[in-house]
Amino acid sequence: MLRIDDLHVTYGGTRAVAGVTLTVDQGQTVLLIGANGAGKSSLINAVIGLAKISQGKIMFDGHDIGSMSSDARARLGIGYSPEGRRVFASMTVKDNVLAGAVTLNGREQVRSWDKLVASFPFLAERQAQAAGELSGGQQQLVAIARAMSGRPKLLLLDEPFLGLAPVWIQQISIAVRQMQQDGITVLMTEQMARPALKLAHSGHIMRGGLIRRSGAVHEIKGAALAEEYL
Amino acid sequence: MSSHDLKPLPAETRSSLLSGHDWIALVFVAMTFLIPVFSTNPQVLSQTNLILIAATAALGVYIMQRLDLMSFAVPSFMAIGGYTVALISMKLHVTDVLILAAAAFLMPALCAIPLGSLILRLKGVYFVLVTFVLTEIVQLLLFEAGPITGGANGLVGMPAVKLFGFELWDNPHVLLTTCGLAVLSFAITSLFTRTFRHEFAAIETNDVLAESLGLAAWKYKAMAFSIAAGVSGLAGFALVNMLMTAHPSSFAPMSSVNYITYTIVGGKASILGTLIGALLLVSATDYFALSGEMSPGLFGLLIIIVTLVARGGVVGVVSGLLYRLVGKTTPLNTGETGHAAQEHANQKEGRP
Repeated sequence: MLRIDDLHVTYGGTRAVAGVTLTVDQGQTVLLIGANGAGKSSLINAVIGLAKISQGKIMFDGHDIGSMSSDARARLGIGYSPEGRRVFASMTVKDNVLAGAVTLNGREQVRSWDKLVASFPFLAERQAQAAGELSGGQQQLVAIARAMSGRPKLLLLDEPFLGLAPVWIQQISIAVRQMQQDGITVLMTEQMARPALKLAHSGHIMRGGLIRRSGAVHEIKGAALAEEYL
Repeated sequence: MSSHDLKPLPAETRSSLLSGHDWIALVFVAMTFLIPVFSTNPQVLSQTNLILIAATAALGVYIMQRLDLMSFAVPSFMAIGGYTVALISMKLHVTDVLILAAAAFLMPALCAIPLGSLILRLKGVYFVLVTFVLTEIVQLLLFEAGPITGGANGLVGMPAVKLFGFELWDNPHVLLTTCGLAVLSFAITSLFTRTFRHEFAAIETNDVLAESLGLAAWKYKAMAFSIAAGVSGLAGFALVNMLMTAHPSSFAPMSSVNYITYTIVGGKASILGTLIGALLLVSATDYFALSGEMSPGLFGLLIIIVTLVARGGVVGVVSGLLYRLVGKTTPLNTGETGHAAQEHANQKEGRP
């Protein structure tokens, strides 16, 4: 579904991603693990179009999306939940969630909202509240629900557990499992390897803009938890 | 929690056509139709005319503020609208107010599309600078294109406009024309900003994030720029109709500072703020008999003070006080949007 070949991302003179090649197959959950500055978020940003690629190719669902605008990529079926639980603070919870469903018609939006509410009842309880007033964990869940609401084929989750209490990590893990059940392909980055590894099928350990180790979860678990990568 | 405990879902929470502030502003503007009934005092009629024209022009700033863009281009589009009307009425002898209003809206709106494709790539201070330069260029063109615009003399001696064959020539009639154009402008602006309020709020808060969710930000910015230009054109029509002259000095680049001040001092988060700002500041200018040279400087100072002390402007402060009195303090209720609401939420949670 997603194929990245020899991807390079540079900011000014700094090389954030230095030749990454990876594939994410349909229905798989792939994890990118690494410390700050490893290049995980830059890679995710390059896939959604927020970071310009300086070299390489990104293929999604048979399309070369490397030169497409960010909104065009989203309309192709890529959902995105950014790092740092960025919600639209002034908008209600419901409007935030449905902001991710701009490609759906009114009836599909209602169906999408109903489905999300069935999984996460707090969305209905807080639907009319400004998203900026929610707690950190709630905001993160709103951001993930927003990314799910457009029924994406591929979902990009950038550090979904960052700075959250265990109870919210658990809630977000439930959300990711729900996506897996729905057949959504997931590419997620995370520093907190332990909870993230429980969700993924395979993973890549990044450092210095490069993939250092790749494999199924049981193959990379030891290395992922090793102190040098965290 | 079972599904039976869930609160009302989408169908029950569908929003109304216009917001409370939109309705208040519209009713308030529509009520000015009654002024000629109760007063024939030229001072009152002239002052009401000026306030309505100022409020209508400031709507151009208000619309662009929905996207976090500060536009200095209002006088340019007012000039395009005003000169279009003057040319049509003087050269083509078309004086029907409905046709002239359509022309005053459409001509600037159409001009804004190619201009917008060039300048809407810019953000922040660059957008401000380019819109200001645009106003200077239009001013220069008005002076230099003498055969069309009348150059430094302008286009003098516009005929009175007509509605269904009835000539609107005297002071009360001129005010009624301005009222009609103002109501039309407020209605267009309210409907437009209400219809796309979610998209605008998303783009205002974080346009990059909005794009990553599939919102084509450029499309909404182009639409807003075009509608803002059209509304400014209607203000230009009202102005030349009141003066019976289209002259470059009526569309001076520095007048854009006034329109921005009305919007910010009144409260940029609400259309009501634009009206209140124009009402207060046009009246204040008249009351203190400030000279034209001083007002941009004083208005600039006022913008700084409001930005530092009360970012919600008059409407934001009053709404905040009212909601505090009834125990509601959410950003949604105080009319804060975008960055303001984020700051509010951050302060509440003690986040930086």
